[in-house]
Amino acid sequence: MTDMSSALKIAAAGMRAQSARMRVIAENVANAGSTATGPDGQPYRRKIPVFTEELDRATGVHLVHMSKPIPDASKFRSVYDPGHPAADAKGFVKYPNVNSMVELMDMREAQRSFEANISVIENSRAMLSRTLELLRSR
Amino acid sequence: MSMNRIAVFDVLRGTMAMLGERQKVLARNIANANTPGYVAKDVDDKSFNKLLSNTMHGQGQQSGHLAMQVTEAGHIRGKAAGAASAKFKIIARPDSETTLNGNSVVLEEQVMRVAETRMRYEAAAGLYEKSMGLLRLAISRPGR
Repeated sequence: MTDMSSALKIAAAGMRAQSARMRVIAENVANAGSTATGPDGQPYRRKIPVFTEELDRATGVHLVHMSKPIPDASKFRSVYDPGHPAADAKGFVKYPNVNSMVELMDMREAQRSFEANISVIENSRAMLSRTLELLRSR
Repeated sequence: MSMNRIAVFDVLRGTMAMLGERQKVLARNIANANTPGYVAKDVDDKSFNKLLSNTMHGQGQQSGHLAMQVTEAGHIRGKAAGAASAKFKIIARPDSETTLNGNSVVLEEQVMRVAETRMRYEAAAGLYEKSMGLLRLAISRPGR
């Protein structure tokens, strides 16, 4: 009985972590065009969601959660646009290092993992109710 | 008469406890499908089979239930959560692929295992129900 409810708790934590990851991905996609406002500023830097596992002392189970997103260290895209307010002396503007294809893939993966967690919940629930049915049998 | 003295109930109870524990381990694997460095885990079949045969050959029946085992130094013989989990050995069982960040969970394989665990659990629960029915038949009044 406690095993089943632990499984439910673990899967719920997994779903929460995947939702948090979705939020970071949404932030990246929404900011794909966020340049600096002046030539000295920096554009938006892509964030990478990272998961860690931690022991929940209250229940004694290992729950997954998203730790602080880490910044992507890759280079910014450079686009020639002399009229842009953020253009440097040579006329180049730094754009965020967000690749919408990569974000799309990440989003898919988050969705797939989320669904796998849902299937764990469905199965655990079925097992739990099967156990309770033993009481009802005659 | 204790129900646990009847081997079939004892074995089924042990099986259901093991499958419940396994479900928990698989849930943990799936929740960590994207955690860097996480290695997939599973309940060790060998240690469980040994426990099961101990029960069937009378050793476990002395105390009325499966004996608890601490198989590793790190295992904690707890009261609340430990009672069921200390019995089965959890081992690392990486799936067929390991990604570059060291994660060895393949969602498809894990979901298959979850489905298999559920099927085995339902089979054990069905057998339990059936055995209970036989007992009930034995104690009911004849001719009814």
